[in-house]
Amino acid sequence: METPQMTREESLQIIQQMISTAKNEQKDDGKGWIVWGWLLFAASIFSFINVKISWLNPYFFWNVLGMATIVVRVAFFRNEQTVKTYTGELFKKLNIGFFISLVFIVLAININTLTPVGGFALLINLYGFWALIYGTALNFRPSVIAAFVTWALGFAALFVKTFDEIMLLHACAALAGFIIPGHIARKQFKQTGRENYNDIISV
Amino acid sequence: MFKELDPILHSQLRLSVMSLLISVKEAEFTFIREKTNATAGNLSVQVNKLKEAGYIDVVKQFKDNYPQTVCKITPVGIAAFDEYVKNLQTYLRQ
Repeated sequence: METPQMTREESLQIIQQMISTAKNEQKDDGKGWIVWGWLLFAASIFSFINVKISWLNPYFFWNVLGMATIVVRVAFFRNEQTVKTYTGELFKKLNIGFFISLVFIVLAININTLTPVGGFALLINLYGFWALIYGTALNFRPSVIAAFVTWALGFAALFVKTFDEIMLLHACAALAGFIIPGHIARKQFKQTGRENYNDIISV
Repeated sequence: MFKELDPILHSQLRLSVMSLLISVKEAEFTFIREKTNATAGNLSVQVNKLKEAGYIDVVKQFKDNYPQTVCKITPVGIAAFDEYVKNLQTYLRQ
């Protein structure tokens, strides 16, 4: 079962086509950012309302977020990848580092090493860091811009005094750092998918 | 005078496999089959040829009780691919 011989031009075309195919595997569909962003956003807004009406424990919705994150991760984000890319491996490590830092800050808030306001300001700062690395590795400009917007919000958070105010800033950070770039990434991903499909059917 | 192109690489399917693998860390056999539109039998033969030439590593293992074949380009494969592309460029520059 030998494959047919080809010209040098055809060789080059195959190389370009396959490298482009592999490149598409490195694109992010934005689903993870969107889900994580909306979870953060919802927890922030509900916490804001919760504090305003003195309803439940101020951290109730953050505890719900922790559980929801585990459920969503297990139920919807199973690892069924058939290819390992270098950027994919980088993101795995980045996400591990991100979540360890996140747990570190949450723990520091819980044991009163950090004030809740200071802790959430640090979390916003962490989102900016994540967005910058992710955006740079994917060459995805909206995420790089989002990183600087998020850092600006993190900077503003340093001057905030109350928990409800930091919740509002945190909601804005989730919107700027994850939700908006996530939806742009998803739109582009779908667009690329359609273009690839058109390429395939036009051959 | 053009350099002879590496006969192992100068074949549509083998070149496709190498071009895919050069861009990723490793890939499952099913992924390569899907992206190259090759039949499992033909792909298996060509993957074996690349393996025999030392251009790729093939690891057969089990994942969730299902057999899984993972392919990864070797340093020898990277060098051969690099040389192949250089020879192509030389030809195209003429």
